[in-house]
Amino acid sequence: MTEALITLHETLAAVLAHEFRDEEVGFTGLLTGQAAATFGTAIPLVAMELARLTHAPNLTILLGGCYHNPDLSDLDELPDSEHSAMLRDLPVESQMTNYPGQWVLKRGDIDFGFSSAVQVDKLGNINSVCVWPYSSPKVRLVGPILQPEHMTLFGREYVMMPHHDRRNFVEKVDFVSGVGYPGGLAGRHQLGLDHGGPELVVTPRCIFDFDKERGRMKVRSIHEGVGRDALQSATGFDLGELSEVPVTDRPTAEELELIRNKIDPKKMLLQPFDG
Amino acid sequence: MTLEDAVRLVPDGARIALGGFAVYQKPMAFVRELIRQRRRNLVVVGSAHSYDVDMLVGAGCLASVETSYVGLEKHGLARNFRRAIEAGMLKVVDYPEMVSWDRFRASQEGLEFWPVNFLGGNDVLAYNPAIRTFSNPVSGKPMQAVPAANANVAVIHAIAADERGNVVFPARRLLPQNGDVLIARSCDRVIVTVEKIVGTSFIRRHARLVEVPSYRTTAVVEIPFGAHPTPALGRYFADDAHMEEYVNPSATAENFAAYSERYVIRPANHYAYLDLLGAERLCGLQDLDSLL
Repeated sequence: MTEALITLHETLAAVLAHEFRDEEVGFTGLLTGQAAATFGTAIPLVAMELARLTHAPNLTILLGGCYHNPDLSDLDELPDSEHSAMLRDLPVESQMTNYPGQWVLKRGDIDFGFSSAVQVDKLGNINSVCVWPYSSPKVRLVGPILQPEHMTLFGREYVMMPHHDRRNFVEKVDFVSGVGYPGGLAGRHQLGLDHGGPELVVTPRCIFDFDKERGRMKVRSIHEGVGRDALQSATGFDLGELSEVPVTDRPTAEELELIRNKIDPKKMLLQPFDG
Repeated sequence: MTLEDAVRLVPDGARIALGGFAVYQKPMAFVRELIRQRRRNLVVVGSAHSYDVDMLVGAGCLASVETSYVGLEKHGLARNFRRAIEAGMLKVVDYPEMVSWDRFRASQEGLEFWPVNFLGGNDVLAYNPAIRTFSNPVSGKPMQAVPAANANVAVIHAIAADERGNVVFPARRLLPQNGDVLIARSCDRVIVTVEKIVGTSFIRRHARLVEVPSYRTTAVVEIPFGAHPTPALGRYFADDAHMEEYVNPSATAENFAAYSERYVIRPANHYAYLDLLGAERLCGLQDLDSLL
């Protein structure tokens, strides 16, 4: 196993795994379409399994928001329908079949979640509703779905962006369906939001975190092989000085071993070498 | 009651709650009959939608939609829906997913609104004057009053009911089926299409699973495969081949008119629609569930 063969997806799974703490509850939806499913569902699942096998054995995984700690070895392919017979029959520890159900959303049972969007802006607002203007938009998308809840009622949110270009990373989103940090933490407080918010934004080019006091997204690390100029020109807002920003940490040999041989031996979750 | 008669209970301009969730267990035979009867200016209120809303939009039946999602999941965007909104022909009122359920909870509780505290800064609030901001009378913190679903009529597709309208829900169910129970308890006019009408002895043997008792049910219609092409959990899977076949027809108004002519307008009744699909296709969709 040589380092040259480490894929982007493996790297992102390991970076995320370090974020999770023991006893936490992590929520991932079932996204569809190859890129969105990989970023929004598969990488989060691998990351949570990796955390469980290393430092967080009591982490609870919610697959599709409903299926607690699924036995993924029972699957031959990643499910792509949340409420289908396939997931009805998947062995799990607890199956949520009602709202309100097992997890108590509004008391903060979900420690962290993953979401995806078409646009994200420098404040960390996300959009899955439309490309401007709202009443007769250029592009109408699916709707807010669970994003408003993800960005306020979950303890923290990992925004998983399968594409990183100027049209996705914009100065201001065309519709705020998930609230970031307008006015920083004080601004959120003014809006009545004293819990949650985006923690990281994960893209094929870099990882962003937040200066939450100022309410501003900033580059935490740049992936291997991505140039600083290329990163700035793919982003629709000013990233500031990037010369001191480190390269994203590679997974350790032990982490790679776990991902490849224990978590995803059938290559069902992360396609090999496609990063 | 016949399907035709049940659909006549829904007048033009009604606020109609359509059960199921996203691409799961939608009352599709009912939707097709709404289109055949050329219902107009309906307002659909629900949690998450797909083929139901997309077909009604394509056929010009809707004035607006109040929901959290309209899409075809793995089959992509809902193309009639998308086209109508981009042309400014359809109004959509966006609600967050769990708040969409909360609106039905408000109706179930006989309340005019449901209070939430997490919509500050969200454009769901900015664009919707029906959601009112108020101060929590205890702490003074900002809160939002989300209007109740307030449907005039609710339509769900279930597995079985008796003639009187005692509706059975299988023990092995998921979120969409329990969502239907909530919807059926949130409205005074409830129409239930079922896979099979059963006798009272069957109902008595499954009394604990009769989540919607007869006095809540306005009409029951037997329609086997009534959720097709969406699945009915425990009876049949999604017809993915048909769903894929729908993608192109819904991409333009002309193509949709042809699809609608073939699958909605021309079949003399629901059984003629099933004939069009064919025995082999339908048999291949069987869900054996658990045999234990």
